[in-house]
This record gives sequence, structure tokens and C-alpha cells, in this order.
Amino acid sequence: MKSKLMYLIVIGLLLISACTSSSTQPGTQKVDEPVVSTEQVTFRVLNWNGYGSDEAFALEEFGKMYNVKIEHDYFNSEEELLTKIRTSPATYDVLLPNVAYLQIAMSEGLVEPIDVTKMKNWESLLPRFKDLPELRDNAGNIYGVPWVWGATAVAYNTEKFPEGITSMNVLWDPANKGQVAVFDSFEDEIVFAGLALGDRTPYQPDDLDAVKAKLMDLMENVKTLWASEDEFNKLFANGDISLGNYWSGAASRAAKMGLPMAFTVPQEGALGWIDTWAIAKDAPNKDLAYKWLDYMISSQFYVTWDTTAGAPTPTTQKSLDALPEDNFNRAVMGTPEMIEHLVFMETMSPETREEWNRLWEEVKASQ
Amino acid sequence: MKKSIHVIAYAYAILILLFLYGPLLVMVLMGFNRSPLYELPFNFDLIWFQRMFTNERLLTSTRNSIGLAISVSILATFLGTLAAWALVRYSFRGRNVLQTLLVPPITIPWLILAVSMLLMFYWLKIPRSNMTLFIGHVGVALPYVILVMITRFQGMDRTLEEAARSLGASPLVTFFRITFPMILPGLVAAMMFTFAVSFDNFTISHFLAPQGVSTLPVEIYSAIRKGFTPEINAISGIIFIFSAVLILISSREIKFF
Amino acid sequence: MEPALGRSEGITINSTAADKEYKTSGAKPPRRNSRQKQEIWRRLKNQGVLWFLLLPGYGWLAFAIFIPLLIMFVFSFLSDVPFGNRVVEFTFKNYTDYFSRSFYWKLTSKSLMTGCYTTLYSILIAYPMALVIAKVLPNRWRSALFMLVIVPFWSNTLVRLYSWAIVLRNGGVIDLLLQFLGFKPATLDILYSYPAIIVGLVHGYVPYMILTLYISLDRIDNSLLEAASSLGASWWQTFWRILFPLSLPGVISGSILIFIPSIGSFIEPRLLGGRSGTMIGTIIEDQFIQLFNWPFGASLSFIMLVIVLLLMGIMALMLARMRLLRTQ
Repeated sequence: MKSKLMYLIVIGLLLISACTSSSTQPGTQKVDEPVVSTEQVTFRVLNWNGYGSDEAFALEEFGKMYNVKIEHDYFNSEEELLTKIRTSPATYDVLLPNVAYLQIAMSEGLVEPIDVTKMKNWESLLPRFKDLPELRDNAGNIYGVPWVWGATAVAYNTEKFPEGITSMNVLWDPANKGQVAVFDSFEDEIVFAGLALGDRTPYQPDDLDAVKAKLMDLMENVKTLWASEDEFNKLFANGDISLGNYWSGAASRAAKMGLPMAFTVPQEGALGWIDTWAIAKDAPNKDLAYKWLDYMISSQFYVTWDTTAGAPTPTTQKSLDALPEDNFNRAVMGTPEMIEHLVFMETMSPETREEWNRLWEEVKASQ
Repeated sequence: MKKSIHVIAYAYAILILLFLYGPLLVMVLMGFNRSPLYELPFNFDLIWFQRMFTNERLLTSTRNSIGLAISVSILATFLGTLAAWALVRYSFRGRNVLQTLLVPPITIPWLILAVSMLLMFYWLKIPRSNMTLFIGHVGVALPYVILVMITRFQGMDRTLEEAARSLGASPLVTFFRITFPMILPGLVAAMMFTFAVSFDNFTISHFLAPQGVSTLPVEIYSAIRKGFTPEINAISGIIFIFSAVLILISSREIKFF
Repeated sequence: MEPALGRSEGITINSTAADKEYKTSGAKPPRRNSRQKQEIWRRLKNQGVLWFLLLPGYGWLAFAIFIPLLIMFVFSFLSDVPFGNRVVEFTFKNYTDYFSRSFYWKLTSKSLMTGCYTTLYSILIAYPMALVIAKVLPNRWRSALFMLVIVPFWSNTLVRLYSWAIVLRNGGVIDLLLQFLGFKPATLDILYSYPAIIVGLVHGYVPYMILTLYISLDRIDNSLLEAASSLGASWWQTFWRILFPLSLPGVISGSILIFIPSIGSFIEPRLLGGRSGTMIGTIIEDQFIQLFNWPFGASLSFIMLVIVLLLMGIMALMLARMRLLRTQ
């Protein structure tokens, strides 16, 4: 009796697997695919998760305009972006590297040169971004379209720090022990510590050992390291931390959600970053890619993004102008003084990367 | 046995069950908590279950996970049982080598195996596909199946088989009428184990799944980056309750060990 | 046709026609007679069966695991990942780097200790539990409880660990309980620290130990224990001299199933360990995700593998010696 039942179970499982395994064949059960298969072109985007391009309104708008289905793939770090694009040739259409990483992608032949005459909105970019040398190779070909930019600086709990914060060394204050969360990235932390030591050229540190000591000090106050926006928000919301380094766009999103978070660029400065859209080498839909680039830097897209979710600072004057006067991005981040105050991410040599990474590993391992 | 020992024993068992299930209960309960940031105190709300049912990504990836896990568990158990049978019932040169070869796959973190598989496929110019995903999943499950079935076979009582053979049954008949029913509980146990392993596997799926296909753990991991809302708890809770019920029911029928 | 009694080897009792011919005619015997043909055919069939049984499984393993691992091994001697137009050469640097920094060894020993703690606490928790299930519980409950122990396997690791964070964090479930019970200070303050990692690991792996111990204990004949106590042994003696040694296979296989994965763990340290959450597993992961330094990640992995194999070899030697001593 028992064995008969078991035979039945085994056969039943086989049948179920036969039915459901058809669901893992290519062409069916793809994420985001509509129930009825269509003749639509599939446009593949490689971006951070929840970073503008996968907003519901954007997918709908762009999808309708050009009759495409947009499929996103995500990465959790710039390196992962590179890994994905390296190991999937001719798969993605567009990707969003930081401008410092665009250089690496360029040198490895992972991205296509962009013919800016094919773009409607290229000229609307602010000169500071349009003329960025990092977008170009030695021959002057352009490989990236600056999209949004921001800073990684100090976010703090307005209830715990009602008078605000002026110096980043507040993170080192022993009174804040166990209240700090810092970003788990060797680049960010070493630059951060360099700035806190008063070095305005933290990418060429005079004394790396002093930076290491400064970081060891910082870790005394650190409760935990964060690696994603949501992680930081949750820590913040639960009162686990009240202070840390954080991205400007993320801070504005958090404040919009109702968290008592304020963001400030301290007097020592902060790390600036610029995210650029690039076209992958051998992209299947190059013409659509140009339309995408235009759409992404259009003020139509930006304003909707910022009002619904919250965005970092735009790279076009039109988008900036479309924001209300007191908007943080417009009033604070967009000013020339602020831009001078920031230290923008630089492309590092592999040796420097390795050295800095080892340093950060050692700091982390000593806890 | 003395009554007092019984009491202590049961109390201990309940304590351990509390330890095992405590966080899982929290996981399920948080699916009913209103706060999207997991703040306590607790406010009952069904919003996450509603959201979950409209979350196409989540549902599709769950379907993919289930389908994949079932096929992986069947194939891995089948191949692994064959191999284990050979290793136990036959003596041949190189048997020890083969057994020792099972150690590295279990020792090396899945991350390494996943990346090395990715590299190999890249060099062989094989693009990521459902097949690469499947190969990877079965590959990491096989050593466990083989080891489990080896233990099972070693502990098996051979006298029934020998009796059947001496009574004139051919090897094939012996296998199907005597051996197979005896090992079936072990097979089902191995299948359930590999199912759980494959279903929960994040690393292999993350690296080997083709563009556009996502499994539940990968989806959850991405959700952690974007915005880990309790929809995840909702679906995890449902899966958990469902599998718990399934296992408890099947435990009435099958004596696994 | 095979003889019904299984294989027969050795001396032939019945002579065949060919033999008779040889004896009477004085000519050389034919090279193969039908008996020997049968023997060879049987051997070939066995070989064939063996290949059929082993090839699919091990072939799959070879393709999915061993060959990639070999590629990884080669990788660990490269200076860079051979993608695109990168220059690559052979080097030992990835290994010397490991030995040249003291903090890598510190991390390795931290990871090994984590493995030890996890295994130890798992044994301590699982052994009484397995005993209860195997020896104390009535039969009908045994299966159910056994299943109850297995069910947590089926929960998603990430969500499960995150739930632990909710339980352990300041103001979390445990703290609320402490508050309710009137403790001051009403906080355990355990989350984002090393103990929290151990809690998470033990929680995830203790079912393995309960499983293997249960199998082992279940096989032990109760009459052995009864005989011991009727001969006057105290419960401690019964346990230490009879029960525990017989259950040792279960302890060992459970320990292996727990120790090895836990030393390479990276999710538990990341989610629960806070600033103390760096272990060799997280470093390896970083090499592949954060930093495109796959050769170094590969060398780290192989170093871990060697360490584990060494440890297991030592343990096997020790066990063999113990067994030897015992039988003397």
C-alpha cells in the first residue's frame, strides 16, 4: 500500500515538472513579458534597481512612444556592471556606468561611440557636462551621455541633530558611538577619510597610513556598513543609526517617504559622481538606443521622476529650471560653488584600486 | 522511563522548536505588518498580500523557481542515485578517488563554483541560457545526493535481496520488487532535499540565469537593493506554510529513515 | 545464462567437450572456450553497467564542477582576468599576496573559529534534541517532529536572516520581550556583532545536525542500552561508553555538513555582523563583485579548500588512531 502511494507521488512530481519546466523555456515566462506575445522589439537596459529608468511611468511612456518592450537587468555595484557587460556580448542595448567607470568600459571596447548629431537633446546638456573630457577617447569620440549627478555626503537625523551639521568630523565624535553607518566601498571611504583629514586631493593622498588610522577611528563609531539605499533607510527608520554618509538622490527620496533625514555637504567637501548612459558594443537596437538617450535626459522624463520618486541633480538646464525654486537639487546642488566644493570621482589605475581595496579590507577585518 | 525525564525532554524539544521557528514566525507575521520599513509596533494589514498578487515579477520568478527546482531535483536524484549505487555495490579501482572527488564541490563556496561555471561557458562561447542555469543547479546538487544515497545504501539490509535472488528472481525483478521500494523513501528524501537546495539557491542563479529570467532568491536579493517591502514576506510566508503542510502530510505516509 | 546462485569462479568441475578433445588428441587447447567467453562477457557487462551508472552523474559533475574548478585553478595563477584586450601572464602573486598580509590569516582563523563555534553549538543543541526524538518520543510523533525540524530548510535564507535581524535588533522582538518582563537595560544589543552571526549560522545549520544525529541514534538498538544498565552501568557510563561512540558517525557527518559551509559563509556576516561582519567568505565575494580581481578570489578559494582538506585529513587520522587505541 505504502509503496503504491509513493509511486504515485513520484509520478505526480514528474508530471508537474513536465508541465512547469516548459515555463522555463526561453520565450515564455520572462519577467515583465505581457501575457499575449507580441511582435514588439525588446530593448534591454542595464541599470541600478529602482533608479529612474525602471519607474512604471517611464516604461509605459517610452514603450508606447516607440512600441517597445523594455527589459531591465540590474547590478549592485559598478564592478558588477562591468562583469555583466563583459560576459554578455551583444545582449544589452544601454547601460549606466559612472563616468569614472565609463573610461574602463571604453578602454576594453565594451561601449559604442555615440554620434551626438543623432541626438535631439545633446545640446541641452550643461556645458560642464557636455565638455567632460572623461566622456571622450583620444580621438575625441564621445561614449557617454551625462544623465544625473550628485554627491555622497552626510545624512543625519533632524531630531537628533536639530542645529544641523557643518563638519564631517561629527561622524568621528565619540558621542555618536554606535550611531553611524558608512557605505561599504573602499573608494568612498578612503576619499571620505582623506577629505576629513583636510586633504582636497584625496585621490592622491599624501599619507595613506594616516587615512588608514582615520578609518580605524571611524569604525569605533560605526554600527554597521550599508550597501544599498534601502538598507540605510531601514537602519535609519528603526533608530539603529542617526548619521552616516549617503547619496544625495537617495536622501531626497528618503525625506519624501517621511523619514526625518536631512542631507548636507560639509565644509570639508564631499565625493561627487556623474552617471552616464552609454550604448553597449554590438547593441541589438542602436537606433532605439539613441531615442532612449534623448528620452532619459529630457526634462519631461526628469520632472516626472523627481516628483514621483525623487531624483539626483539633472545635467540639463531645462530640467533644472523645471524644478521648484527651493528644490534641494536646484537650490543647493546645482550652484557653481557647490560644484567646485565637490571632489568628483576619478578613474583609478588598477594598482591604486588594489591598494585601496586591501586597505579597506584590512580596516574591516580588524573589527 | 521516568516521568520527570519525559517532562524535561518535551520541554527541551519545545524550546528548540521555538528557536527554529521563532524567526520564521516573525517572517510570516511581518507580512501582515503595515510598516514598509519593518517598524514595530505591529499593525495588522493585508496590503502586502494584495500587492504581492499584482507583482508580476515576483510571481513569475516564483514560478520559474518552482519549475526549475522540480526538474533539478528529479534529474539530480536520478543521476546521483545511479552513481551512489555503483560506488556502494561495486568494487573497482578508483572508487576511493571518485568518493574523494565529492569533497571539493561541497567545500568550495557556491560563489566560486558559480563564477567558474560562468567563465567556462564564456570561453566555450555558450551564452547564458536556461540550460546553463539548469546545468549549474544540477551540478551543485549532485554531490549531496550521491553522499546521502551512499549512506542510505550502506545502511541497507541486503538479506532481502539475496533471498529474492536465491529464490530465482532475476536482477531486474529483484530491483523493481525489492530494492526500489526499499530505497524509495530515501529517494524522495533526496528529492525533497535537492528541491529545497535548488529553490533557495541564489548564487548560481544570479550568475548563470539568462537575461530576463529570474528566480525567487535573485528577485528577493534585487528587492533588497531597491526596496525590500513586506511583499517578500508575504510570498515567503505562503511558500513556507505551503511546504510545511506538504512535508507534514507526506511524513504520515513515508517513513524516511 | 547466469547461474542462479550468482557468480562462480575458480575451479571447473565439469569438463567440456573441448577439454575432452584436448586430453585425447594431444593438440593445443583452443584459446577461448565457451566458459571463458562467458566470463569475459560477464566482466564486460559489469563494466558496461558500471559506466552506465557512473558516467551520467560524474560526467555532469565533471562538466559543471571539475572542469570549471580547474579553470579557476589556472586562473589563480594569472595576473589578470583574460577578458578583451587585457594583458595576462602567469604569476604566483595571488598566493604571495595572501601570505604577505597578516590580516588575511587573521580573517582565515576567524572564519575557522566561526566554523568551530557553529559546529560546537549545533552539536550541543542538536544532540539532546535528537535523543529526545529518537529515544523518548512515541513512534507516531517521531516522524512529525522530524519533519518539523526539516521544514525550516524550506524558508528563503535572506528573508529568514532578515527576520533574525528584526528579532535581535534594538527595539526588536527580544528587546520588547525584555522590556515587558521589566529588565533594565531592556536591550540585548546583540545585532550587528559577531555573536549575532553565530546565532544566524547555528539557526540555519542545526537541522543538519539533528538530522544526521537522529539517523545515527535511531539505528542504535535500545536493547544495548538496556543491557548496559541492567549490568549496573550508570547513565553517564551508558552514555559515554555506549551511546556516544555509536552515534559518532552521525556527529561527524553532521559536523562536516556544518563546518565546511559555515567557514565560507558571507550572507550571515553581512546581514547580522555589522562592522564585525567581515570574514574570508565576504572577502572572496568582494573579489568577484566589488573588485574585478577574480584571480585573487580564486587563489583565496583554493587556499581555503586546502586548509579544509588538511583539517579533514588530520581528523581522519585522529579518528583512525582513536579506533586503534580502543580496540587494544
